[in-house]
Amino acid sequence: MDDLSNLFCQPTRRDLMRWGVACGAAGALCHIDIQHAFPQDVAGGLDLAGPRLKGVVRHPAMFWEKLDENRVKCVLCPRECQVADVERGYCGVRENQVGEYQTLVYGALCSANVDPIEKKPLFHYQPGTTAFSIATAGCNIECKFCQNWQISQFRPEQVESIPVDPERLIAACKARQSPTIAYTYSEPVIFYEYMHDTAALAREHGIGSVMISNGYIQEEPLRRLCRHLTGVKIDFKAFTERFYAESCAGELKPVLKTLEVLKDIGIWLELVVLIVPTLNDSPDEIRRMGEWVIEHLGPDVPMHFTRFHPTYRVTNLPRTPVSTLERCRQIALDAGVHYVYAGNVAMHPSENTYCHNCQHELIRRLGFRVRFNRITDGKCPNCGTNIPGVWSQEQALAFKPRT
Amino acid sequence: MPRQNSRRQFLAQVGAAGAGTMLPTSRLVAAFGEATKSKSRVVVARDEALTKGRLSEHRDLITKLLDAAMQRLTNAPDAVGAWRQLFDPGDRVGIKVNTLGLYTQPAVVDAIVNGLKQAGVPAEKIIIWDRFDVELARAGFKLNKSSQGVQCRGTDAEQVGSGYERQIESSGRIGSCFSRIATRQIDVLISVPVLKDHNLAGASLGMKNFYGAIHNPNKYHDHNCDPYIVDVVSHRYIRDKWRLTVCDATRAQYNAGPGRHPGFAWSFGGLIVGTDYVAADAVAADLLDTQRKVKGLKALADDGRPAKHISTAAARGLGEADLGKIDRIEV
Repeated sequence: MDDLSNLFCQPTRRDLMRWGVACGAAGALCHIDIQHAFPQDVAGGLDLAGPRLKGVVRHPAMFWEKLDENRVKCVLCPRECQVADVERGYCGVRENQVGEYQTLVYGALCSANVDPIEKKPLFHYQPGTTAFSIATAGCNIECKFCQNWQISQFRPEQVESIPVDPERLIAACKARQSPTIAYTYSEPVIFYEYMHDTAALAREHGIGSVMISNGYIQEEPLRRLCRHLTGVKIDFKAFTERFYAESCAGELKPVLKTLEVLKDIGIWLELVVLIVPTLNDSPDEIRRMGEWVIEHLGPDVPMHFTRFHPTYRVTNLPRTPVSTLERCRQIALDAGVHYVYAGNVAMHPSENTYCHNCQHELIRRLGFRVRFNRITDGKCPNCGTNIPGVWSQEQALAFKPRT
Repeated sequence: MPRQNSRRQFLAQVGAAGAGTMLPTSRLVAAFGEATKSKSRVVVARDEALTKGRLSEHRDLITKLLDAAMQRLTNAPDAVGAWRQLFDPGDRVGIKVNTLGLYTQPAVVDAIVNGLKQAGVPAEKIIIWDRFDVELARAGFKLNKSSQGVQCRGTDAEQVGSGYERQIESSGRIGSCFSRIATRQIDVLISVPVLKDHNLAGASLGMKNFYGAIHNPNKYHDHNCDPYIVDVVSHRYIRDKWRLTVCDATRAQYNAGPGRHPGFAWSFGGLIVGTDYVAADAVAADLLDTQRKVKGLKALADDGRPAKHISTAAARGLGEADLGKIDRIEV
């Protein structure tokens, strides 16, 4: 693992073509209009198109407290917005109506696609399978480099949506033979109620649920949700409060708390760090982050260092150099993290999975495609070492929170 | 005949323009004359009759009150002259109302439309607007998306070319998509807020009203909405077009806003009118605090929600927030 170039495998012509098709499809699916997504890309032969939502749906919100003068306090996420009558919280999708807090996005899907699970990215969660991926409008932070800002930073009325209740979603998921529903793209914490209900029902139907989140959630709702989830990926934005404050309108501390709670719960967890040049790429910061992960989460939580592309409000910085990702990866490996990946750099050898014990190549990836997966019964076929992850649907659905 | 100004007068005019009025300098001089160059003028017009009954029964009275306020604001000899000092027949005018919670009264907007027509602005070039059709309708405004008469629509009325710009605009700390009504369909803005309390910003007045011009106001309520409110109105889409504030104080609310709360309703029966939008907000906030004191409530600042954005706007040179330096006229 010392010299990545030695591990680079020249792709075959067939590989390149497959990869091109996969990337093209995935790129097109990254964020597509729901009116195209549901009837064609998602629903297939099912008649799921239906009328577009006019206005918003209203559904009782969970995790809030009454205050005086018809105000409410939201305790779903660390912001703890105090919201006056007729006003909304920071997320823009939860509204106070005469002292009752409501979610405006229950089942209001603005994005829906069948993605490779690798696109989340979850590399140790049933590789090569698909995830029925959905989102509503809204987010509880504002990353100035958000890749999906057209939905995450808008309110529900401003984004075209389709009403899809949990039953209908599960039926569509089954029709597409996806073993997993991924709550993703924007920020699933803000459509908590829908995710919670859908994940609970999905389990009854033998479907797993993974949350792709920024980790900005309070402990009680997180624990209750994890009774129904089967995996979590957290965007670990940086390891400084300054970055969270200036680039994300958030705080680091609550995210660290979330990670510790997830560790305590015992649910499958992977971390993604989007490396933005000059803002969160210092070797010292990455080293401290890696050490924190080892100390608080252990060596088996995979980390993905992914490539930034200029977008939204950060258009004055270049794409992350591949060498920076390689350096971050090496720092995390040196800190003791067993599985560290570079992301958004197609065909880079560090997208592959190597046994942390014997360095045997276990999974080769080309973009979001899995070319081969040699893991057998959760073990390395070369040395027999247990490889951390969720390798089957049975294993996924068997998960129960440890605490 | 063009009027010859002395060097001192010229500097005073430039200073007044720099102090925050949205009028071009030439229009400013024409509007205020020499007596008001050095002081921002705000007119507080009241009529006891407006505190009683339904406002829809007082349309003529509101129109007369507003015309009188405009005359005092501009020193014009009559109402027509007052409106003509501020508006031209070629202007495309957007009347930004507030329809969230305690809303702008349609009767007040009717009076403004009447004034604009006196200035020669065709009805078809006047747009009454806010965020949503549904909220406008709920507030009693009659939606009109035809090409005839005064237009009335929300930014969400995509079918007539509104909606939000697709590009994010940065201004200070905000990054927002602005309503296309503000960016493309009008040249001149009139802010018509309601005199009301706001649980975070302290007061929801003329400047805060333009949170309804951006797609993501929910992101900008921390720190008493400061400096975000000022960042919004500092953007050229607002700053360069805003010509007049008519704060609807016919039915006000001194606590627990911005939603309606009958326990804190306040029939002030008046209008607060000014071209210096910082000064207009400062006077309105002072009225709120005065009423809170009468009712035994803490001042906004002592209640943990000072209307900081008003002083921030003044510090940025957008207008006058010092009540001692504002020419406040009661009508």
